Amino acid sequence: MRNRSLWIGFLLALGLGLSIALTQQQEVDPYKEAERQRELFRQTAGILPGELYAAQGEELFGQKRGSKNVSLEACDFGLGPGKLEGALTQLPRYFADTRRVEDLETRIVSCMVNLQGFKPEEIKRDDVKALTAFVASKSSEMPINVVPKTSQEIAMYNLGRELWYHRAGDRDMNCAICHDSYAGGKVRLSPVRSPRQGLSNEWPAYRFEADKLYTLQDRIAFCYESVSIHPPDHYSEPMIALSIYMLTEATKGKNKFTELPGFTR
Amino acid sequence: MKTRYFVGLLAMLLVGLTLSQQGPFQQRVQQAINSGGSKFAETMKQDRDQALCSQYRDKLPPEEVGAFLERQRALIKYPADGKLMGDWKQGEALFTNPRKGNCYACHTGDPKEAGAGRMGPGLVGYGQRGTSEAVVKYTYDKIYNAWASMPCSLMYRAGHHGILTPEETAHVTAFLLDPASPVNAKR
Ligand code: HEC
Ligand code: HEC
Repeated sequence: MRNRSLWIGFLLALGLGLSIALTQQQEVDPYKEAERQRELFRQTAGILPGELYAAQGEELFGQKRGSKNVSLEACDFGLGPGKLEGALTQLPRYFADTRRVEDLETRIVSCMVNLQGFKPEEIKRDDVKALTAFVASKSSEMPINVVPKTSQEIAMYNLGRELWYHRAGDRDMNCAICHDSYAGGKVRLSPVRSPRQGLSNEWPAYRFEADKLYTLQDRIAFCYESVSIHPPDHYSEPMIALSIYMLTEATKGKNKFTELPGFTR
Repeated sequence: MKTRYFVGLLAMLLVGLTLSQQGPFQQRVQQAINSGGSKFAETMKQDRDQALCSQYRDKLPPEEVGAFLERQRALIKYPADGKLMGDWKQGEALFTNPRKGNCYACHTGDPKEAGAGRMGPGLVGYGQRGTSEAVVKYTYDKIYNAWASMPCSLMYRAGHHGILTPEETAHVTAFLLDPASPVNAKR
């Protein structure tokens, strides 16, 4: 028997759980609620949590670290070494030096390994998340521009589309059931969007309900857990494939990124 | 000696055949899934009909439908005592419980339940269709295995996956059909 507590975890964490449904007689609009929470942070702390993560990432980015004792300033995110402005808008993409398609998180790890000389097992997930927040902040509110061109990118997109429709687990689910068949509708209280409608355009984001920074990979993992499928490892092909699929579709739908890091429930 | 050799050869041939039935793209997909880690790969394993639904993006071509429904019907199990309508009160708890039926995620049932999802049709007043043998069986079968009447339905196969036992399925059936259930309260 597979672990069903994941499903309940999903419902509770998303605020779809019974307790919430019962205590909140009126259905709160999740967008308005996020806006309210955001203002609260602005007023009380003067800074948004996402900005704190980005600041932390900026510091890490400039520090000389790893066995080679260099900063990440020479890391090439696809626009040339050190060019961060708009870098996220064209990721994931193929990189000739690693010979693989990488998303932002994976690219950061590659640079930490190849440039700074970290061993993969030494790399802290929290560092990668903060660095992701920093680099992403340089693409805030920019149009998404992911267009698979190389054969590797096209292959990765096709893999992502296949995973998108892959029905499995004891809830017989796939991503399309919630995000295509039901886009524009609600699962319990949560409005659900399709990739064409811009799904994935607010990550990395601070989720106030979880009080944590979530990257796009974290958000994908969360949806897998919600349908009792154990999520794929970070930086693995399924993560990158689903990301390039969703962001390519979001590009076709002419979507922009939100403020980055985002602020959401 | 010779026959054994022959059988071995035949077996190898068969293995080769089944392997080659998986095209290069499907093999590549499987390789990608495996690269996500063993637990991910384990939970992403599909049965034949999950694979078929994925292949056809949840819209089966007409020539596949008959055999699909037949395979799914064969998976339905019934309570030992043969009663397909149980106790609606136990059914209500199962319908509501996110770890069990989790039916409110997609359906309204008791209209008093706030925040019900709307991915599935509304079930308020479902019992109006009566409790004839055909209606009871249709309802039981739908809950136990939604794919036995609607190929690749969004609704998961709660009984088939063991989320609901046959007895529990009968309780949920009663929650929808019993005239005393809040689903069917006079309004
Ligand atoms: C059971 C329904 C369901 C399934 C299946 C599902 N999701 Fe989600 N997903 C949701 C809900 C509900 C939200 C939250 C929407 C909100 O709160 O704004 C969400 C949110 C997301 C988000 C972030 C939303 C945003 O605004 O950017 C992403 C990305 C996402 N899902 C990807 C996926 C992927 C990839 C899959 C398949 C592995 C998947 N989802 C499967 C229901 C589902
Ligand atoms: C993921 C969403 C989802 C969940 C969860 C779900 N259903 Fe459904 N249900 C549907 C959809 C969509 C349909 C219509 C398509 C079909 O018949 O399969 C449906 C159809 C039905 C029908 C037939 C309605 C009619 O008018 O003939 C019944 C009865 C039903 N569901 C009961 C349940 C029960 C009981 C549960 C909990 C064990 C449940 N459903 C869970 C989505 C869902």
